[in-house]
Amino acid sequence: MGRNRWNLPDLGFGIGLRTVHYSYILANHPPIDWFEVLSENYMDTGGRPLYVLDQVAERYPVVLHGVSMSVGSTDPLNLDYLKKLKALADRTRAHWVSDHLCWTGVSGINVHDLLPMPYTDESLRYTIERVKAVSEILERPLVLENPSTYLEFGTSTWSEVDFLSTLAQEADCGILLDVNNVYVSCFNHGLDPDAFIDRVPADRVVQYHLAGHTHKGTHILDTHSDYVIDEVWSLYRRSCRRTGGVATLLEWDENIPSFEVVHAEALKARRHRGLPEPDLKRAYGT
Amino acid sequence: MAPDLGNTQQWMQAVILHPGSDREAVASPKARKLVPASQFPRLIRPSRTLDSFDRIGIYRGMYLARLQEALEADFPGLLHFLGRKRFSELVRGYVDRYPSRSYTLNRLGDRLPDYIRSSPGIVRQDFLHELARFELLMSRLFDAEESPVLTPEAIAAVPPESWETARLKPIAALSVEVLRYPVGAYLEAVRQGKTCPGTRRKNHWAVVYRRQYALRWLDLSRPAYRLLHALVSGVPLGDALSSVLKGGRQPVGEVQLFSWFRGWVTEGLFQAVELEDPA
Repeated sequence: MGRNRWNLPDLGFGIGLRTVHYSYILANHPPIDWFEVLSENYMDTGGRPLYVLDQVAERYPVVLHGVSMSVGSTDPLNLDYLKKLKALADRTRAHWVSDHLCWTGVSGINVHDLLPMPYTDESLRYTIERVKAVSEILERPLVLENPSTYLEFGTSTWSEVDFLSTLAQEADCGILLDVNNVYVSCFNHGLDPDAFIDRVPADRVVQYHLAGHTHKGTHILDTHSDYVIDEVWSLYRRSCRRTGGVATLLEWDENIPSFEVVHAEALKARRHRGLPEPDLKRAYGT
Repeated sequence: MAPDLGNTQQWMQAVILHPGSDREAVASPKARKLVPASQFPRLIRPSRTLDSFDRIGIYRGMYLARLQEALEADFPGLLHFLGRKRFSELVRGYVDRYPSRSYTLNRLGDRLPDYIRSSPGIVRQDFLHELARFELLMSRLFDAEESPVLTPEAIAAVPPESWETARLKPIAALSVEVLRYPVGAYLEAVRQGKTCPGTRRKNHWAVVYRRQYALRWLDLSRPAYRLLHALVSGVPLGDALSSVLKGGRQPVGEVQLFSWFRGWVTEGLFQAVELEDPA
């Protein structure tokens, strides 16, 4: 069991369930620890995606990860969305449900982006109450991820990490620490990523995200389009020393390579946690 | 005075959705009402490498790119016909009028056919409207509930005297369509990377459905369309057959009817035979 305060399990090393890998997974049942599922892709379908998800959830541990909860929005909570999310979590026996510390729109509009919060006392108080309400509806603690951000509000009086940490403690929610996002945001804002990692409350971290990104020279975009860079692995090792290691997930969403390549990248995390890397050729019988 | 959380979010969304340049968006009346342009550099801090306009511009650029990517995936036929530049212009106009109001991008294109039909200046408007409507239909059928399929055993269990008044319940992922352009063939050619057929008007009929999680369609003759349309609309089998045998300009024999019916059952278009309650 992990060291987080809810004793949520260390699921090992997983990857995101993506459409391009459906056929491979169903045909080969690859030896992977777990899958993270993008909630919104399965909430309004009775077609093949749901069929595949049922098959996957039957065989592997599953965690739900969303992008449209908009927990920081000043719009009312979307109760229809939360009801469907809970139903999907129950259906898949998801170990936990996560989303982002962000807002995605107001006045009923969804911009479909993870928009940054101003880190103020007002937005902290507001978001604490929203997270508590969501956890009550979902009947399980919500897990929130630090998003990649490309701007900072001049009105912010908190650092992102202190805002997230206080929110997690006051609202009693978990943290999905996206190590790549820490690197991306700190680069974009000229901050120290080591200091960010060191200030995250270790007992709140229930999951890691790892991914590649796109460096544009003047800023970095969180594109999930490449291998994890050494600096991000270094941050991952630094955080694992504090948390003892928790469930780790590799995201790859653009130019997605074969299942084996994505899985192999995820398994590199084992080495960075001081665990032996399995012989993938043997595991895949190739 | 610094904007509160609500005003900050309303302002940022107004700037992201504005169709002009970054500077025009910040200076737009809606944005200025929430945050005066003079406050903008203080609200969005510049970084070492980017000024405040550049930083909000990243979000503005990603907004349109993300929505376009979603619509390209759902409307590959439209994208192929228009080309990327004209498709981008279509998307810009569409999302300006109908921004997403759903938690899922799967519903983003729901009003695209209506937008095409109601927007002046779109070339080949009728064809594009029907192509968009057909591609939207495919998306809806892709996500429809999975239904059980009528089995030979269930058919054999129907007493012969009950067929006259029996109703056939179609699977959920099915639609019977009257089409004015060869949009099915066009879309199939696009998906397979083949040369697209002509797009001249040609009235025809088809049933679009999902079988084993794959979308398919069958072209229908006009009488076959009339029969299948009646059946999926809940008309009792006897009445549906009579109307096809008696009406219409093309005579239909019983052998032909039986052949259609057998083919539709084999294709899994029905999920159950519903018998009239004897009471």
